Amino acid sequence: MPSTDVVVVGSGLAGLATAVRLAEEGARVVVVAAGSATLSWAGGPLDVAAVPPDGTPRQGVANLAAHPGHPYAVLSGDIEAAVAWFDATMAHGGLPYEGDLDRPLRLLPTALGATRPAAIVPAGMAAALEPWRAGEGLVVMGIRGDKDLWPAAVAAGLRRAFAAGSGPGPASITAVTVAIPDLADRRNRSALDLAHRFDDPHQRAALLAHMSRALDGGRSGPCRIALPAALGLEDHAAALAAARDALGGPVFELPMVPPSIPGLRLQAVLRRRFLALGGRILLGEAVARVEVDAGRVARVVLPAAAREMTIRAPALVLATGGLTGGGLVAPASGGLQETVLGLPVETPPEAAWLAGRADAPGGHPIALAGIRTDDQLRPVKPAGVRIVGGLLAGQRFVDERCGDGVALSSAWRAAASLREDAGAPVGRVAA
Amino acid sequence: MTLAEPVGLSAEQCLKCNVCNTVCPVLRVTDRFPGPKYVGPQAQRFRLAVEAAPQDGRRLLASPDLTVDWCSGCGFCTSACPADVKIAEINSRARAVMREVERTSPLGWRHRIRDRLLGETDLVGSLGVRLAPLANLMLRARLPRWAVQVVLGIHRKAALPAFARRTFAATWRSTHGPLPVDPSQPGLPGPDQAVVYFHGCAANYYEPHVAAAAVAVLERNGFQVIVPPQVCCGLPLISNGRYAGARGRARRNVATLAAFARAGYAIVGTSTSCTHTLKAEYREMLDVDDADARAVAGATWDINEFLVHLHDEGRLDTGFGARTGALPYHAPCQLRSHGIGLPALDLFALVPGLAAEDMDHDCCGVAGTYGLKEEKYQVALDVGAPLFDRLRDRGAGDVACDSETCRWHIQAATGARLRHPVEILADAYAASPVTATPGGS
Repeated sequence: MPSTDVVVVGSGLAGLATAVRLAEEGARVVVVAAGSATLSWAGGPLDVAAVPPDGTPRQGVANLAAHPGHPYAVLSGDIEAAVAWFDATMAHGGLPYEGDLDRPLRLLPTALGATRPAAIVPAGMAAALEPWRAGEGLVVMGIRGDKDLWPAAVAAGLRRAFAAGSGPGPASITAVTVAIPDLADRRNRSALDLAHRFDDPHQRAALLAHMSRALDGGRSGPCRIALPAALGLEDHAAALAAARDALGGPVFELPMVPPSIPGLRLQAVLRRRFLALGGRILLGEAVARVEVDAGRVARVVLPAAAREMTIRAPALVLATGGLTGGGLVAPASGGLQETVLGLPVETPPEAAWLAGRADAPGGHPIALAGIRTDDQLRPVKPAGVRIVGGLLAGQRFVDERCGDGVALSSAWRAAASLREDAGAPVGRVAA
Repeated sequence: MTLAEPVGLSAEQCLKCNVCNTVCPVLRVTDRFPGPKYVGPQAQRFRLAVEAAPQDGRRLLASPDLTVDWCSGCGFCTSACPADVKIAEINSRARAVMREVERTSPLGWRHRIRDRLLGETDLVGSLGVRLAPLANLMLRARLPRWAVQVVLGIHRKAALPAFARRTFAATWRSTHGPLPVDPSQPGLPGPDQAVVYFHGCAANYYEPHVAAAAVAVLERNGFQVIVPPQVCCGLPLISNGRYAGARGRARRNVATLAAFARAGYAIVGTSTSCTHTLKAEYREMLDVDDADARAVAGATWDINEFLVHLHDEGRLDTGFGARTGALPYHAPCQLRSHGIGLPALDLFALVPGLAAEDMDHDCCGVAGTYGLKEEKYQVALDVGAPLFDRLRDRGAGDVACDSETCRWHIQAATGARLRHPVEILADAYAASPVTATPGGS
């Protein structure tokens, strides 16, 4: 592995998608990541764009692409192919998504008792987005001892949220908390504990039997059942099918706080696909430095234990994220720094940093900070580099809900662009 | 003992994101362990607080959470952490503090004796080799193993390796004379013609065939092998919270090896956990961090890492004989801590006909001496279960793995034949007497 075709730094959605796309084209790819967190923070829905929040993702992309400087201004033409690739990859990996760019955004209830717009969701959340029929109720069901989902609070929050929203919501919202006798309270329960139990066929059956009994006490008339997003990690398809069967109605998972099981499932599918294509992942390694020969990326140096390790590569993809992902840092000396190459960061004037509230409509100006590239996602220098995902300047991923769409379309573009890069033909060349 | 920088204070960077809990193999299978986030960075805040206000010695050393003893030390939490919190290292240090103050240790006297014994690999190894025929008989018999569990708490079904009839070092002395302690000793080949071999306890007392394979592979590549006197790297002591003893081992090894490192010799080891200890744990865990220790760390190589490096420089003999068939491979957690990727897979790719397959499982469960303990044996089996299932599906045959304790545990659980990657390479060389002219990578 001392030499490879491409090094991808970062193992979030943008990094893994770029790595898989390149590996599918026959390139040798090494993913280097300081940690593996961001997909465990991802709630599950694929956020392409939600402006306005009652349009379609395609309309949202078109709206954002009209802003010069937004990543979609150069990537909007790739979104269709990138999302289609994502759908196929997830379906192939046993984690099908439903919805598409032309499906209207609808309100998806969450485990915080709020709603958020979504159009493309994992199959396990799809039932939440069907239009509510007259008289149809919602039962929010949780497990006693799960510290991350409090059914009564979720139900109260959702009543307020649906009342405030336009369009019809559930006729009634009921909370059911299920006590599971053999879940000893030796420690706080999280979705992770529940997911491991739902992976095991015996424990799954026992859990669902308890849940079914509790539901019969709380159900009156037709209803959908909202559950913690914990229906299995390794064997989600079987757990989802068993839950639908046992609870006898449309079932959907509520997006939850980290660690998010739907995000971990997505990570597992991409990771497995990448490894099956011969890719390598080096986890726990922040890049020490990148060495450049004649203006082109030549070597990526990792700290390793005791002695640096050098990987020769003519191409480098930065998928390190923005301020949340760690691709940008704000040192005490002021300004923003890009952490791998020290690239110039497009930053709003520092006076503007103090101007607004972080939760103001439109978001905080610092969200726009990032790396400016050309339409092939190349930064100013050195040659051989592509920028993907949250590190790209000009997006407000929280307010626009464009993060996943930017990640996928930039991965798609970067992989295609590296393939065509005359300076470094990517693919299985003589080592 | 201090909770030294940078390990102890790294807890301050914790985002509470929980990703460490999502990758913890122990948390996955038992609710006795609350997870790395709780016993690591969260409990660490209290440890730092009592350290900042040390009114009395006992409070200074108390750990707020004794369940940290369920951490197996695999290190996946540290690798996954986006904020560079040294979670597994924090846990190891906390365990060492607990052992210093037995009053706060959850262990009874049996387990304290056991944990001392499990750390004393040189003592157990040299006694065992002397008594090998009898000792091996006892290890395989049910009644003695039952007695060992009752008296010491080492699980009767846990995989304990058979002792060799003769240590590797003794065999080497008989053919190569006294072990050299000084690189300036007349007659020693220079660092361009020779490497220093760190055999560790496993190859010395239990698996001299692994050492023989390593010597054969190194010699095939034109290196003579130098075996200086050495003691246990100290990792079994570190894992069992005996830092003082481990520090003694570290100082002895560094005292011998530093001169070789400074003279330019590569120090190559077949035990990936020993080499990682020389590289990183002397500094991070034991605070043995002087210039000599750094010289040794910088000169130490896992053997597969070294061979890949030779290949990269166009110096590896690639004249491997063909070997047909599949070869499942398990990458042990200690190897991942090196941050060097999976060099065994790079080497297997050079053997014609060999189809190595990464089993892609986090941890086999045993984590050194963890899975030998009666209270943790079932955890070790449950953690490794998906790997064992996958290997059983592949059927009988060789399985490759870089770590000895993993090999013993997986072999006992599956019945497969577990081999060090360098044994596979030695076989492939033996199948082809023709040396390939070393060429470019």
